[in-house]
Amino acid sequence: MSKKLVVVALAMLVLVGAMGLKTVVAGSGSGAVLMANGGAPAPPTPWKNGGAPAPPTPWKNGGAPAPPTPWKNGGAPAPPTPWK
Amino acid sequence: MPGPLEFFIWCACFVLEVSVVVCAIRGKVFRRYLPLNLYMAASAIGDVLRFRILFHYGFTSKEYIYFYYYSDALLTIALYLALISLFVHVFRELGAEKYVLFGACFLLAGTALFSYLVIQQSTTKLVTHFVVELSQNLYFVGLVLTYVLWGAILKLRETRAQLVQLVLSLGIYFSLFAANYAIRNLYPPVSPVAIALLQVLGCFLPGAWAYAFLRLSSHARLTPSNLAVIPR
Repeated sequence: MSKKLVVVALAMLVLVGAMGLKTVVAGSGSGAVLMANGGAPAPPTPWKNGGAPAPPTPWKNGGAPAPPTPWKNGGAPAPPTPWK
Repeated sequence: MPGPLEFFIWCACFVLEVSVVVCAIRGKVFRRYLPLNLYMAASAIGDVLRFRILFHYGFTSKEYIYFYYYSDALLTIALYLALISLFVHVFRELGAEKYVLFGACFLLAGTALFSYLVIQQSTTKLVTHFVVELSQNLYFVGLVLTYVLWGAILKLRETRAQLVQLVLSLGIYFSLFAANYAIRNLYPPVSPVAIALLQVLGCFLPGAWAYAFLRLSSHARLTPSNLAVIPR
């Protein structure tokens, strides 16, 4: 049993070391992905398909100006908060 | 679409991968290093399928991108298992195989859990993020394990030349890719050159293993003086 615990501790140590090394190597993190098997040319990452510009978010429909928030009625200046 | 040079390197890599399996069969060590040979065979099959998908759908097609990254993750797991088989070879004389296998399973599960915890905030393409993250994390685990194995080889004064060559080449292979990854992250302007180098680096491991199976006899031993001596 104690030998298995030693193995578990060593495995966790290796995992911590590997993740620490990865963090050091990744540096500022430019989003590069490590590809290490075979000689095939590496494609772009799956979540970065092509060079097309990103579309607008789905909840931004059309180019109309955003309406005032529901709790901001009228154009009067906002009063100070009640607890100040 | 990749140019003629990229295709030439790719074909050379494929030939080297096939030659590893052929040399292992010829040297009658195919079964002894079965996981290594299976990894090389899987890598060669993966290259053929990637080639076919690339020609059929195109370089920037979703099919090629997804197949490339998913197959890369599977191959990284296969490489991890091949590395563990080398651990078993080294620790067999100590009768510690079952502890090595237990530790390997625990480490694989721990890496998968860690990868999931890292990407669980991703709202889109969760599985794809997980596959790529697991592949990268497992790669760095393999890098650390290779150096641990090399330390064990020195400590146990392992003298089997073929085994030492296999482990050494694996360590160099992992280190080359880690250096390439570091350069791409730390110096993004040279990233295109580093990405172009990836293909050449990919040929190193099959080349070194083919050499080990072709030139080194399975019974060849290193003289102890050729290894650094560490007191037991």
